[in-house]
Amino acid sequence: MLETDRNQLHKCVEEALPELDMMIGWTRCDPLQTTPVFIRDAKSISSLTLGPFCSQNLAGYLVKPPALDAPPKPDAKPIGICVKGCDSRSLVALIQEKFITRQRVRIFGIPCGGTVDWRKVARHVELGSVKSADVQDRVLVIEDSTTTHRIALEEVLSRKCLGCRHPNPVISDVLIGAEVSPRSTGMETSYRDVDELDAKPLEERLAFWQSELDRCIRCYACRNACPLCVCQDRCIVETREPRWLTQHVGVPEKFLFHFIHAMHLAGRCTGCGECERVCPMDIPVTLIKEKLNKIMEEMLGYSAGLDPEAVPPLLTFNPGETEI
Amino acid sequence: MRIGVFVCNCGTNIAGTVDTKKVAAEALGFADVVYATNYMYTCSEPGQQEIQRAIAEQGLQGVVVAACSPRMHEPTFRRAVEKAGLNRYMFEMANIREHVSWIGNDREANTSKAIDLVRMAVAKLRFNAPLFSSKMPVNKRLLVIGGGVAGIQAALDCADGGMDVVMVERQQYIGGKMAKLDKTFPTIDCSSCILGPKMVDVAQKENITLYAASEIESISGYIGNFTVEIRKKTTFVNWEACTGCGACMEKCPSKKAADYFNEGLGAARAINIPFPQAIPKKAMIDAAYCRQLNGKKCGVCAKICPVKAIDFEMKDEIVTEKVGAIIVATGYDLFDHAVYGEYGGGRYPDVISGLQYERILSASGPFGGHIRRPSDGKEPKEIVFISCVGSRDASVGRPYCSGICCMYIAKQAILTRDHLPESNSYVFYMDIRSPGKNYDEFVRRAQEEYGVQYIRGRVGKIYRRGERMVVQGADTLLGVQVEVEADLVVLATGVESSLGAGELAEKLRISYDQYGFYMESHPKLRPVETNTAGVYLAGACQGPKDIPSSVAQGSAAASKVQSLFAHDTIETNPQVALVNERNCIACGKCIQVCPFGAIQWKELRGGIKKAEVLASVCQGCGVCNATCPPKAIQLQHATDNQILAEVNELCA
Repeated sequence: MLETDRNQLHKCVEEALPELDMMIGWTRCDPLQTTPVFIRDAKSISSLTLGPFCSQNLAGYLVKPPALDAPPKPDAKPIGICVKGCDSRSLVALIQEKFITRQRVRIFGIPCGGTVDWRKVARHVELGSVKSADVQDRVLVIEDSTTTHRIALEEVLSRKCLGCRHPNPVISDVLIGAEVSPRSTGMETSYRDVDELDAKPLEERLAFWQSELDRCIRCYACRNACPLCVCQDRCIVETREPRWLTQHVGVPEKFLFHFIHAMHLAGRCTGCGECERVCPMDIPVTLIKEKLNKIMEEMLGYSAGLDPEAVPPLLTFNPGETEI
Repeated sequence: MRIGVFVCNCGTNIAGTVDTKKVAAEALGFADVVYATNYMYTCSEPGQQEIQRAIAEQGLQGVVVAACSPRMHEPTFRRAVEKAGLNRYMFEMANIREHVSWIGNDREANTSKAIDLVRMAVAKLRFNAPLFSSKMPVNKRLLVIGGGVAGIQAALDCADGGMDVVMVERQQYIGGKMAKLDKTFPTIDCSSCILGPKMVDVAQKENITLYAASEIESISGYIGNFTVEIRKKTTFVNWEACTGCGACMEKCPSKKAADYFNEGLGAARAINIPFPQAIPKKAMIDAAYCRQLNGKKCGVCAKICPVKAIDFEMKDEIVTEKVGAIIVATGYDLFDHAVYGEYGGGRYPDVISGLQYERILSASGPFGGHIRRPSDGKEPKEIVFISCVGSRDASVGRPYCSGICCMYIAKQAILTRDHLPESNSYVFYMDIRSPGKNYDEFVRRAQEEYGVQYIRGRVGKIYRRGERMVVQGADTLLGVQVEVEADLVVLATGVESSLGAGELAEKLRISYDQYGFYMESHPKLRPVETNTAGVYLAGACQGPKDIPSSVAQGSAAASKVQSLFAHDTIETNPQVALVNERNCIACGKCIQVCPFGAIQWKELRGGIKKAEVLASVCQGCGVCNATCPPKAIQLQHATDNQILAEVNELCA
């Protein structure tokens, strides 16, 4: 089935490429991982892949250097991009905030049954010895030098996928493969990890975050990977004017950084989980944003990245507010 | 920076519970503080001289005064340091009176808090920079939105002062609600007799441009320099040619058009001039009822019109006007009593609104000034008035008092007795609110001289019995149930905000309350200003008002405009947002959230966009600063660094 979808993707991209500035997709780099690939030449199309190892959210590439160093010319050709359900929401959020126009992108939407978290795979097999990996009927089949491991896909899915409500792209020009049914349909199942943490007493939560954030090395990978963190090298955690943060290494500074990051995403975060995926220290940083997303949904009935026409509630001024 | 700290005793106001000497002594230890002292009354003439002397002798570059609220004396001290040669923004105030000495008796705790506040002020001052105002030219033209009595008054006052005035009225005539009234309380003088001359003045003043049957399409710009787009609605009559002769009205075969002016009591022609004294006296076609415009063969008006003014092809037209100030006088609308099912829900023709009764009383009304029932045209004998319909009733979302109904009911009851001496009038009321000059005497006269029966209690139900209406209510003073068989029931329908008030507020970027009434800048001290500079309020758009108050507000708003227009330029407030273009990522969020439309795009070379603040529009609210992710937009005199410095001192 994956094979059929891949062929369909190749065929669609081949047809579209002459009209495109470039195509952004995934390519296999080792048995368990893919890497982003930028295609201008039709010969490279065959390297495009899709499936449960395509974990990166490619939407961010549209708004980060070098893509955004200069504004696109009016006659610029659109950029083709592969998106999973969660990635498509980032795209919608970027369109909402006018960082890209809908016309600027040709969206190849890919329904997604969940992506594999290699960290979880590492609990089962020695990663270095993996020869090949494939998913068949929701089972991850891994061959290493000696044996064949069969691991239920559920056990190695990324944390964000477990509560996924939008596995199918919310916006696309071409849909590759068949739609899949969401594994979660409501708030109860989507925010399980947040609820679990919230149920703990304050001291325990504080201790949790203190020990988690203590590991943070302030590499800013979470920020760099976030498709909606658009400030890049103007990020206030690194500026002196204004000087919000110092370069001290204590937990309070790290706390402040992560909460500034989260607050800047309040009502914008689509929960794509990139920040957590790229964290070299394995800190569940998406949890902070999930908590905010939950509040946004409860208080304002808003989920980010679903409607390109909607205005995120915190990015508008409501004259109904009685005191300005 | 060399900083001086002056701690005020304020007599015993501060020194009573704060050790000011100790505060000053501690302050000497703060970074950059080279001079600190306490003084009996720092705001007094010698107190200010003491500051100026210290600036000269100590070479101070910044001054902190720890005293009362900056709302009280910040301007005083800014002037004082400016006279001594410092920039007025190199001054900070720590409020150790309202925030400290007045709210606690613990001398030790107060002193310690005062020291903290002074330390914060010093920390902020170290990040202060001199700021300078700039000057903007003022376009001395005024826009008045709404041609009711408040708007007319404002327009005439300003026109008399020699200013150009543009008046926009959405109806086809000016005069507003007052034009529909028969008489006015408490003097019973004829409404159109006192309003008419003012309406004529508006038409005749050469420096008033009147756009009737027009609405505001958009407003951009800022105090002194607004650009307004006005939509002139299609009238199908060329008003430059129309002489108001009325020949078209007489011949128009469509005789069942809605009569808005008579509150739906009569029927109008499809082409209509609403009343004989209308200003402008021009005809307008109601497209919903015109035979020609609905595909039938007609065009009678076009044939009869002696000046060939009828134009069936006419379209809306947008005109642009540039003005320097705006007075909003959009008035009110009447509460729709149909929500009261117990009063018939609007189904009984003989249960009418207060304004409908005004039209019945009026000599130019549907019955020529004879009191008749709408249902069968008979003269009523028993008439019941019910107060507070859509006022002081939280159950219909109108908890406020409309302020005018008690008086207009009394007036209508008196007039009813004058018209029909044999009739009996009853008023069901909750309380009588008659606080104006000669108002209570007027209500007493209704009760005592005109024999109007006042019954204190609510009406529970109105229902039909034969040709008459039965009004069931309580008399809470006697503690009995009352039933009155009436021929006509007049509901004292309350005041609500004008239809479309919210949309207009958004165009003007002013705020409104939950009922749609526009918010004044300060409920007591800035009653006709809004929080948007250059936009003023007059009349019932700000809240229910009677005619004298509306007129007074019209004049008040006009005087505000005249004092603005007395200057050729305005000085801008430099405490506004400023974009650091190097850090701006052009996300546009500041533009989205700015409540005043003060931020716009600016294009640099190569098509790179950056946000730009219009200093003269910015009100310094700081919403943009809070929203800006890289904090590239900073509020001058309250920058992030200044606030962080204060917070750091407090947490240190």
